[in-house]
Order: sequence, then structure tokens, then C-alpha cells
Amino acid sequence: MSGCHEPWPENLTHGSFVHTEAVVKEPNYPPILPSLTAKSKSARQRQVVEHVNKICAAPLAEKLSLVTRIQWKKYVVYPQTFARNADKWYQHLTKTTYIPGLPEKFRSPESPEKTTEKEGSESAAAPAAGLDIDDEAFAVIRDLVTQIILQEHWHTKKHTPFLYRRQELLVGPFLRNLVTELTFTLAKFNPLFRLCSLDINPQVNFYWRRGQRIIPRGHRKGRQEPTRFQIDDHPNCQIRITEQLPQFAQMEAFYDAEVPEITVSPDKMPLFKRQYDNHIFTGAKLPDPARYGHTQFHLVPDQYHRDQMAKRGHSDHVEVFLRANAMASLFAWTGAQAMYQGFWNHEDVTRPFVSQAVITDGNFFSFFCYQLNTVALSVETDANNPRKNALWGTESLRLYESVKDGEVLGLDDGVIRLLISFLMNKP
Amino acid sequence: MPVTRIFYPLYQLGNPQLRIFRPKWFLTLVRPGKAQPPDVAQFRVPMEMTKYDIKNYLEKIYNIPVAVVRTRIQFGSNKKRNHLNQKVKQPDYKVAYIQLAQSQTFTFPDIFPEKDRKPAEGSMEELTEKYMEDEKQKQKSDPRRGGVTEWFGL
Repeated sequence: MSGCHEPWPENLTHGSFVHTEAVVKEPNYPPILPSLTAKSKSARQRQVVEHVNKICAAPLAEKLSLVTRIQWKKYVVYPQTFARNADKWYQHLTKTTYIPGLPEKFRSPESPEKTTEKEGSESAAAPAAGLDIDDEAFAVIRDLVTQIILQEHWHTKKHTPFLYRRQELLVGPFLRNLVTELTFTLAKFNPLFRLCSLDINPQVNFYWRRGQRIIPRGHRKGRQEPTRFQIDDHPNCQIRITEQLPQFAQMEAFYDAEVPEITVSPDKMPLFKRQYDNHIFTGAKLPDPARYGHTQFHLVPDQYHRDQMAKRGHSDHVEVFLRANAMASLFAWTGAQAMYQGFWNHEDVTRPFVSQAVITDGNFFSFFCYQLNTVALSVETDANNPRKNALWGTESLRLYESVKDGEVLGLDDGVIRLLISFLMNKP
Repeated sequence: MPVTRIFYPLYQLGNPQLRIFRPKWFLTLVRPGKAQPPDVAQFRVPMEMTKYDIKNYLEKIYNIPVAVVRTRIQFGSNKKRNHLNQKVKQPDYKVAYIQLAQSQTFTFPDIFPEKDRKPAEGSMEELTEKYMEDEKQKQKSDPRRGGVTEWFGL
């Protein structure tokens, strides 16, 4: 009839509607991807994506070799450098914040009381407080340290050192002896040391990319090129362990931390470019079971000794040098440890990697702790990455005043406590 | 008087140290061509000056705390030729990059800032500028035609 219109078409009113599941339709044609071999930007992007996926899917040894395969000109970063403001530069290059002082674990529990009561009685009464060793063991270790100092500086007869080889002759053996003796003595308190590996003069290498620049001249002019860096470090000795040290702070705690931004090219630091094999090495090859790092010990060479710096009028630069050394060395070590676990630029670390370092020139000791929260430092991966690495560090603390007539004068217990607490760090 | 070559005596340990009281050297502070870190100042210095000379010069005469001096010699090009097809050499010069101590910073100042050139009221320049602007406005086509040429139409 005209005038009346049905609300629903006739061919669809078949009675009741039965609820059915949505039919999953398989696509009839394969997905449309850009070409792999064409001379176009999308083809290049697809090549890059395929390469990244290939590296992610590869087994560990092959992954490392694929990441470090191609040689290009890269900046060689020296941890021990004469450059001014090196610590700010290295903070920018490794995306690290610097926190003065040590994490809560290592802060002495006596410090709030020292201000009110006498220092001598407090420290003498409980020298091993806060550490997991008894007072007897502390006294034994104290004697051991005096013996080691006297051995190198009093008992052994050494020829007058050649120019700028004093540290190598006197302080190198002292540091090595100190580390070996302390590790063996503390092995009964720290179960980690029974399966640890103590390396003497090891090699630590790391290769990474950060930032990019426009190529100014040449057949690749105008294109973006990532800046590559390589660290080749030789600590005096290091301890590697089979289990990982616990983190010092949550990764999220550093999301708002400040990392200095430097817009100038690294050439102005000065930093120089070279091309050679890209190495990533923790101190031992891949199959070694002691994969995680515990502590590194560095020696300050003669040119950067505080007396030499004072002669040149750079006394304010001593602390800067130590900080830069710790930052570069520990970043390289923790980065290499992370890569040995399979984390790399495009697969960021899932847990923080932690290591410690002690830098000394024989008398003054500085303690540093490093937490690696991210390895993704290249331009593509760093765009939305809020994570930052962190370095805690102290100023240099004096271990002893001088050696006179077979006696060590002014031995500081606080420094020995810090050393022991560093070595006793365990999960 | 022609410039004669000055030979400074070579210093050996024990010799009296050379002291220059009124140096004939003049430094030129220049704007860096490539971006430098904030604590670096760039100078053009005479070729005979060494890094120690530059450091002492700035510290003693101008009281500038200098941490580190780095120098390089810029080769002046010998490529251009004059109307007689002879090569014309542009002089070589030494550039010094001075890093300042005590965390001081330096940025090269803007010597030629942009000025708002507005001629004085009622002057000849203002009248001529206004006249030129009016003439330019007359030359432009009617904006209501939307870019269509004048000859297109009925």
C-alpha cells in the first residue's frame, strides 16, 4: 500500500537473528611491502628493518659479529684523557648522570653520629660495623694493607724510576698485590669470590653509536651519518663474577635526571677518528662463565698525577679526570657485559647492569659505582628513550700520610672500610 | 726599513730565559667559522708565536686565565691568478684556539646588529620611499582577479 513504508527491507527479515562469531577472513593476497632492491627511500628503510630483524633473530656470537662487522671511521674515546671538561663530554656521549657521593649501601652508618661525638672513639669502637666481617678480620686486613704498602715502598729495593715511569714501577705492583690479597682474604666472607675471575691488566672494549652528523664533503655529501665511538681500556686489574650485582636504584628514578647536552661536534673536545676493527670485550671471551663485572681497579698514570697537574696549574682538573676515567671505563665494561647477554642498540636491557671501580694513584683512592640502564643510544632508538645511565662517585680520599722508618703513618680506616664494603658487595 | 728576519736564540738548560717586554706581536680575536665549545676563544696570531708565547701574552698583558692553547697554521691559497695569469698567493696565518680556565665562557659578540631603518618624519627619504611604494602598488594587478592575466576576459 502506498504511504506505508517498512522500517526494515524484506529480504533481511528472516525471523530471529542468531549471534554468530565474527568470521576471521584470511587475506587472499600477501601483504604489500615496499621493494627490497629498488633505488628508493622505502626500499632502504625496508633493508634496514630486515637487517635489524636478522640481528635480533641471530644467536649470540653471530649477533655480536653482525653488529661489529663493518668498519667505518669512528671516534676513539680514551678514558684517561687530557681534554678539559672531559666528564661533561663523556656524560653526553654515554647518556649518564653524575651523582656525587655513593649509593645508600656504601654510606657509612656512623656519619650522623660523628658530628656530635668524638670521631676517634667511634671509629675505633666499631671498625667493622655495617660490614659482614668481624673486628678480628678487619684488624687482620688492616695489618695486611700496611704490610703491602711497606713491601712496595720500604722493603723492596727499587732502582730510581725513569722519567714518567714511577707509577708503573712503584704503584702498579702495590695495587695488584692489594687487590689479590684482599680478594683472597675476603673469599671466606663473600661466597661470590670462590667462583670469580681476577684479571691482571685485561682489555675492555666497547663500540657504540650516538648522534648523527651531515657529511660535508665527498660522494656521500648531504646525507646523515651516525657518529660511532670506540673505547679501548686497560684497567690495572678487575674482578668478574658469575652472578649479577643487585641494582643500586630503580631505572625509573633517573627518568628526570639531567644529562648535559652538547651541540658541538666531538672533534672540538678534542677527539680523533680512526678506522679499525670494532671490538666488544669484557675481559674474557663469550663462553666464559664469569660474565658479570664486580670491580675494576685503575691506576692514574704519571702524566695525570696530581703533582704533575699542579705543576701545569691544572689542580682543579684532577677530579674531572678521575670522573671521566670512571665514566668511560665503567660504561664500556657494563655495555660489553650487556652485549654478552644479547642486549644491543635495538634490544634494550631489561634489567640494570651494575659495576664498581676504584681509581687510585697509590695514595689517593676514589670510589665509583655505575648502573647501566640503557644501551639504546643511537638516533632512532634514543628518540623516545627516557632511560639514563647513572654514575655515583666520591672525591679522592687519602689512604696514608707517608711511609717513615718502616712504619705507615696516618692510615685511614674509613678508606679501608670503603674498600672492603666495595669488595663485599654481593646479591 | 725592510723587515729583517728575527732569529730568537735557542733555549738550552741554564741559559738566561728570554723575556720580551714590549712584544711586536698583535693578536686578532675572530669569530669562529665552525661552532666551538662555550669556553673556547679563537685568535689569529703571528706565525712566530708558540703556544707558550700565546699563553703568557694573554695571561700577563690581558689577565685572561688560559687553560690550554691549541694552534694550527692555515695555508693561504695559491690558486687564484691575476690578469697576467700569475698565481697570487694569499698569506698563510696561524690560528689559536684558547680554552679558558676557571670555567669561564666566551661568545663572540654581534658587532653588526640589525638596525630598523626608519627615515625621520617629513624628510626627503620618507617621501621618496612612500612614492616608490605607491608606484609598486600601482604596478601590481587587481588581487580580485586571483592571478589571472589582464588580457584574459571578454
